[in-house]
Amino acid sequence: MDVTLSRNGARALRVFFAFVVVFLYAPIVILLIFSFNNSAVPSFPLSGFTLHWYREFIGNSDLRGALETSAIIAVLSSIGAVLLGVLASIALVRRRFRAKPAVSALLLSPLVIPYVVFGISLLLLFHQLGIPRSILTVVIGHIVICIPYTILVVMPRLQQIDVSLEEAAYDLGATRLRTFRSVTLPLILPAVVSAFLIAFTTSFDEYAVASFVVGTRVTFPIYLYSALRFPSQLPQVIAVAVVVITVSLAVVLAAEIGRRVAERRLGALESG
Amino acid sequence: MRLDPTTPSLLGLPLAWLGVFFVLPIAIVAAYSFDVYSLNPGPHGFTLGAWRGFVHDPVYLRLFWKSVKMSLTVSAIIVVLAYPLAYYLALSGTKRKYVLLLVLIAPFLTSYLLRVLAWMVILGDQGVVNSFLFWTGLRSPAHPISQLLYSRFAVMLVLGYIWLPFVALPIFVSLESLDRRLLEAASDLGASRLQAFRRVTLPLSLPGVAAAFLFVFIPTLGEFITPSLVGGATGYMYGNQIVDLFGTGFPDWETGSVLAMFLLGVVTVLTVAFSRFLQPRQVATD
Repeated sequence: MDVTLSRNGARALRVFFAFVVVFLYAPIVILLIFSFNNSAVPSFPLSGFTLHWYREFIGNSDLRGALETSAIIAVLSSIGAVLLGVLASIALVRRRFRAKPAVSALLLSPLVIPYVVFGISLLLLFHQLGIPRSILTVVIGHIVICIPYTILVVMPRLQQIDVSLEEAAYDLGATRLRTFRSVTLPLILPAVVSAFLIAFTTSFDEYAVASFVVGTRVTFPIYLYSALRFPSQLPQVIAVAVVVITVSLAVVLAAEIGRRVAERRLGALESG
Repeated sequence: MRLDPTTPSLLGLPLAWLGVFFVLPIAIVAAYSFDVYSLNPGPHGFTLGAWRGFVHDPVYLRLFWKSVKMSLTVSAIIVVLAYPLAYYLALSGTKRKYVLLLVLIAPFLTSYLLRVLAWMVILGDQGVVNSFLFWTGLRSPAHPISQLLYSRFAVMLVLGYIWLPFVALPIFVSLESLDRRLLEAASDLGASRLQAFRRVTLPLSLPGVAAAFLFVFIPTLGEFITPSLVGGATGYMYGNQIVDLFGTGFPDWETGSVLAMFLLGVVTVLTVAFSRFLQPRQVATD
């Protein structure tokens, strides 16, 4: 007898799982359907097929500008967060120091701060220092938010790597930097890439903190938020939504597949 | 123990970044809440005035309590819904569990605002649900079900929708790491499936459940985006109040800072209280 589930129990859970997946994806499918619907109001009955909304959004320069701004911010933030996250991960995994629990708590604490609190904190900081709000102020905030994610992704990978590989490099006369470049980095590269992707998508989608520190160049989520308050723009926004959701799902899948392929290769290398 | 000379150079930059752009900003909010800094010109110095006002004004605490109830309800419901999902993935022996896990979590990794948008399209007066009811004649177009959108119900539904996939993850991890031999032992000793679940599986998965609960409760408690888009007047939450106090209408940064520090204090207490459930496994086994 299987201790965890009876046959009927397993069947019931499978049905429940399918039901939840339908619940999770139905709203996305509904957006997809209405993005092709030939009507200014998204409602039933469907009134005909059109590509009008997609054409309109491709021609919308404000929207393209917002996407571009978000892309720039996401690239800068993820580079910064990965850099700081990798440094911190190496210290946490490879070095011994007394304050380690406190340091790791501080490094991970942006995970649990309510973003509304962090947003106003940054707003007050920049106000107090007289720093005008711009793309850079958003990047600063997003790096803080993304550091814990990069640490949580890079640290486990670093722990899997045999320290003796690095020690062998030192013994052969490599400097610390050289060892990192030729031994450690190639081994943690899959984790670094997924940390980069997670940070990128987090920053690209981030509204709460950005809404407090954004300058005159609005980001994509901020553009979206204001568009959501004007129903006339809704069908166009739905078309953008479909494109963005499709792209982000594709990135997620690609990252996952890439990570698995890389892990399998590394696994084969290490055992072979 | 001897400090490795390279440790400061590794930790210096990350700690400096968080010191200047995370800890210092919070200290400034605290300073505003005690009127050490102020938006108003003129003399000011350390007072407890804003804090006293907060404690004595029933509006803010009542709003906080309402938000607590809303996020408690949402968190409890979706943890209960997510548990069987995680159980199915971790313990049913399905071969494609990681693929199914990815299917479950993928919506969480797409845009937050766009998922709110989807529900605005579904719940509005002219939305999918109502227009479907008009179309089928179940309801006359003059009387849409207007409580669907811009209500407390809408806020809770959308928050639940947004966080459900994420909640399954920590529960899955704790069930996945369960030593199956314990269950076999329970079975050998004559326990039924239900007894084995109640006495072995459930207690051992509680850390995952606690972590899942906290990971939803904290962000939903300070939530302001979803309520401002689908909440209307009845869905207004504590986070919206904070935003409004820093807004362009009648800014009151001192009171806003008090509200923010209070929320941060509650969240910190919760996090510390639950911290043994939140330790990433790697740190815990160090």
